[in-house]
Amino acid sequence: MTAHPPILLLLLLVSVFLLGLHTLRQSSRTRGLRQELDRLREELIRSRELAEQQKAKLAQRSSLDNVKDEFISTVSHELRTPLTSIRGALGLLTSGMLGEIDPKAQNLLRIAAANTERLIRLINDILDLERMESGNAPLQLRRCSILELAREAIDAITPMGDDAGIRLELNSSAPRDAIYFDADPDRIVQVLTNLLSNAIKFSPAGSTVSVQVHSDVNSLLLKVVDQGRGIPADKLEAVFDRFLQVESADSSRKGGTGLGLAICRSIVHQHGGAIWAQPNHGGPGTTLWVQLSRSARSSDRTSAAPAAIASAERGEGLVLVCDDDPGIRVVVAEQLRQHGYDILEAGSGQEALSVAREQTARAAGLRSDAGLPTQPIAAILMDLYMPDLNGWEALEKLRDSPATASIPVIVLSVSPPTERVLPKGAAQGWVQKPFNESLLLAELQRVLHAAGGAGQVLVVEQDVEIAGALVTSLNGSGVRAAHVGTLQQAVDRCMMGAPDLLVLDTALPDGDGLSLVDWMRHQPVLSTLPLIVYSGRTLSESEMQRLRAGPAQILDKARVRPKQVADLVLMLVQHRPDTAAVA
Amino acid sequence: MRNILIIDDEDDIREVAALSLEATAGWHITTASSGADGIRAAADARPHAILMDVMMPGMDGPTTFRQMQQDPQIAGIPVLLLTAKVQGVDQRRFADLGVAGVLFKPFDPLKLADQICQTLGWADESLI
Repeated sequence: MTAHPPILLLLLLVSVFLLGLHTLRQSSRTRGLRQELDRLREELIRSRELAEQQKAKLAQRSSLDNVKDEFISTVSHELRTPLTSIRGALGLLTSGMLGEIDPKAQNLLRIAAANTERLIRLINDILDLERMESGNAPLQLRRCSILELAREAIDAITPMGDDAGIRLELNSSAPRDAIYFDADPDRIVQVLTNLLSNAIKFSPAGSTVSVQVHSDVNSLLLKVVDQGRGIPADKLEAVFDRFLQVESADSSRKGGTGLGLAICRSIVHQHGGAIWAQPNHGGPGTTLWVQLSRSARSSDRTSAAPAAIASAERGEGLVLVCDDDPGIRVVVAEQLRQHGYDILEAGSGQEALSVAREQTARAAGLRSDAGLPTQPIAAILMDLYMPDLNGWEALEKLRDSPATASIPVIVLSVSPPTERVLPKGAAQGWVQKPFNESLLLAELQRVLHAAGGAGQVLVVEQDVEIAGALVTSLNGSGVRAAHVGTLQQAVDRCMMGAPDLLVLDTALPDGDGLSLVDWMRHQPVLSTLPLIVYSGRTLSESEMQRLRAGPAQILDKARVRPKQVADLVLMLVQHRPDTAAVA
Repeated sequence: MRNILIIDDEDDIREVAALSLEATAGWHITTASSGADGIRAAADARPHAILMDVMMPGMDGPTTFRQMQQDPQIAGIPVLLLTAKVQGVDQRRFADLGVAGVLFKPFDPLKLADQICQTLGWADESLI
């Protein structure tokens, strides 16, 4: 044993050395960990402090808002009182009722009177805007005719038009029963008179300002078209800001307050609508567009959907309609087809089960049947009261089978959802009969979007070949894509439910695609919608700037092929956080 | 000739309103600078109508109006409130009081008489 003391000693030394090294490393790691922990703790404290500050700031802001409201209301009142004397005195003097006045003095009096009027308008406008934005001016909604309101506004503004030598006209392409909407009539007339008075102010004498009314499945579109000097492209949006006038001398020369369009926007937004400006196609002047939702009352929705929608590309998804009443199946199927859905029908719970299973097999390529679609079922519309296998039993069986368990179901029933409680997760939506088309579509859209999937892409493109290539390529990759060919259809589609991404052509039959972007960026739901502008023309620097206000990619048709656009779309859609989570 | 009572605490507004009604409609105008004075003046002058400010120190317009309604001698005289408040809530509140009408400041001096006639249904006035 004593034969190897040096070896033992060596071993001992090595062990001690290794132990030391280990301890050293360990302690440095502990130190590292501790530092990290300290850092995290500090960060936590800091973020808590920030949250507290934020909360305090918010509370402060809301109390500040109240103070501000009160202040503005008081100031307006206090300003009105002296203005009453000034206006009264000047008015009586300029009228000449109290005696002849020297022409020079008369001119000065006229200036004073005109500016008093302007100050009064300004105070009224500030108060108006303030009330709307603080929510102190709730809308008094009732069923209105857009034509009647437009006529009312034109009547009110005609004297101003006559003075300026401008003709006012009203045209409507809307069917007689498609002009109704829920609105606060005084407010809408205020918008229209404001737009008309603007149009008159900036139009040359002898020209015409026209009001045009159009209607579509869901919306009313009102245009005020002038032949004035127009708005520069980079100001199309800014004109809705407070106190912005295109030329600095405008406000004094035109007697405006600089708040008119801001008020219009506020009112239109309060109505859930949209307003935007666009230069006229191939001519001088500007068109102000106002879009409002049509009345949802079924009695106001009798006119058939325009053919434009029916001809839209398929691609909304495949829907299985299950109801024992063939009449209801036909109506529902027809309505959904018009909006781009493909339809399967089933007349009983049992049939629904077998159709759903077969379709799942077909979509998976395990089965092929000539003439039948090969896409998976996006949603099932299910009646509850049916003979044999009723809706409840059918739902249960759908959920039990792995092949059909994940298909979202919307119950179509005469009972309200509160009366017939379903087991949790059995159905994702509910539409009560008798239902109207827009309710059904909205619920279907909601359920389809809640289901996630690989996203929904809207292709707005005039060239059917390019659109076809894009849509086919996207659908083939499992991304639902729909195509529309005009600005109006695009707006309608977006109103029905926000897509996850938009591919936008600039040259559309009813206007420039970029005006859609302006509209979108003002819609709360659409303001952050990612956008691919696929343009055949070169965009100007100011247009690029307008686009860059939101998430946008700009691609040149001359350089980028549809397939490459589809690849980019796929990448963008699949990188969206919510769809990634589903996948 | 019509006889009108104007009640307003602002001297300038009283003067301008009085001048405006005299000049445009040729009416005879009496004025008072507070609610209490107004009630006395109404009882004395028995005007055809009363034009009264809403915000006055001491007794405001609505309170003055309610007191007038207690006095059978002047309860029947139509009262028009003249207000610088334009909020809808206020307007409805005034209308609920039972006044004959509400007019707004700043008024147009050339149209004030016309507005009063319209509100009160006086169709036969010869206005300038």
